[in-house]
Amino acid sequence: MVNSVRSAFAIRKIFFLTHSRLLFAVFYSIFVWMPTIFVSPPKQVTPKTTVKKSSKKSFVASEEPSTPMHPLTAFAVNPHGLRFETQEEEEVVILFLRQHFIVNIPWIFLTIVLLLAPTVIFPKLFSVLSINFSLPAGYFLIGTLFWYLATFGFALASFIGWFFNIYIVTNERVVDIDFFYLLYKKFSEAELSKIQDISYTSGGIFAAIFNYGNVTIETAGEAPNLMFEVIPYPERVVETIRALTEQNEGDAV
Amino acid sequence: MIPVLPGALLLVIKIFFLVGLLLYSIFAAVLVRQEQLMADVLEESFEPILRLLVIGHLVMAIGIFVLAFFFL
Repeated sequence: MVNSVRSAFAIRKIFFLTHSRLLFAVFYSIFVWMPTIFVSPPKQVTPKTTVKKSSKKSFVASEEPSTPMHPLTAFAVNPHGLRFETQEEEEVVILFLRQHFIVNIPWIFLTIVLLLAPTVIFPKLFSVLSINFSLPAGYFLIGTLFWYLATFGFALASFIGWFFNIYIVTNERVVDIDFFYLLYKKFSEAELSKIQDISYTSGGIFAAIFNYGNVTIETAGEAPNLMFEVIPYPERVVETIRALTEQNEGDAV
Repeated sequence: MIPVLPGALLLVIKIFFLVGLLLYSIFAAVLVRQEQLMADVLEESFEPILRLLVIGHLVMAIGIFVLAFFFL
């Protein structure tokens, strides 16, 4: 009995000694090749918009990296390759804004419904209402083409309406360009020196989640107040305009 | 047997399609003009693609109008 226990112990000892290097190699390789599960996410650096004075009556947001522009850009700092109507030669665009992309969700949803209607919704509706008739092939073809064309036109007009409603902050003024129903255009501007007060409101669940709000710019005299509606990062917009107006006042003194 | 719509109703549908497509083509032309006016306000790199889309939309509208003329 004792001998058998001793022999078993001896076998284990021999096994451990002979395989210790192998075991070490296995554990080491597991340790080295084990995928890193808990990696702290890289710190997201949100650059602050700093307005730097380059010369008298001239401002540049030089420390802010330029935001690359793409068709769906709703918030861009120091955008490149962008010019607007009545822009002067030495005028620099500091902020370029559109309404938050979330304002497009209703018409996108409606477009999807309209696209699905001829193939999914209408057949169901006709079967429920027991409507049963046949159209000649030509009528059916033209009707279907007209339906999809009108859907495309609706989506295109809605997108253009969003795309060209823009807000611009330059080193000299704040500009608001609005188009109504594609036929009416409204161009409003306020010089930085005439801005008296800037405030923003952001309320509701979606505004909190997607970080958008309305910025109100009150101007002196008869100049109308400007309202930037449903724009992303309203607090940064207010900060930037405030920094520009303070810089402007400093230069005036 | 599936009933075919009566001739008078088909005529009404035909007029609706033709007049509708004519008005729609005018709307598409207005959209092209408006896009040009808007593009004067804002010069951006994406603008040529948008112009291509609205012109394509106008061409499709005229094309379907012509098709309707022959098919209906």
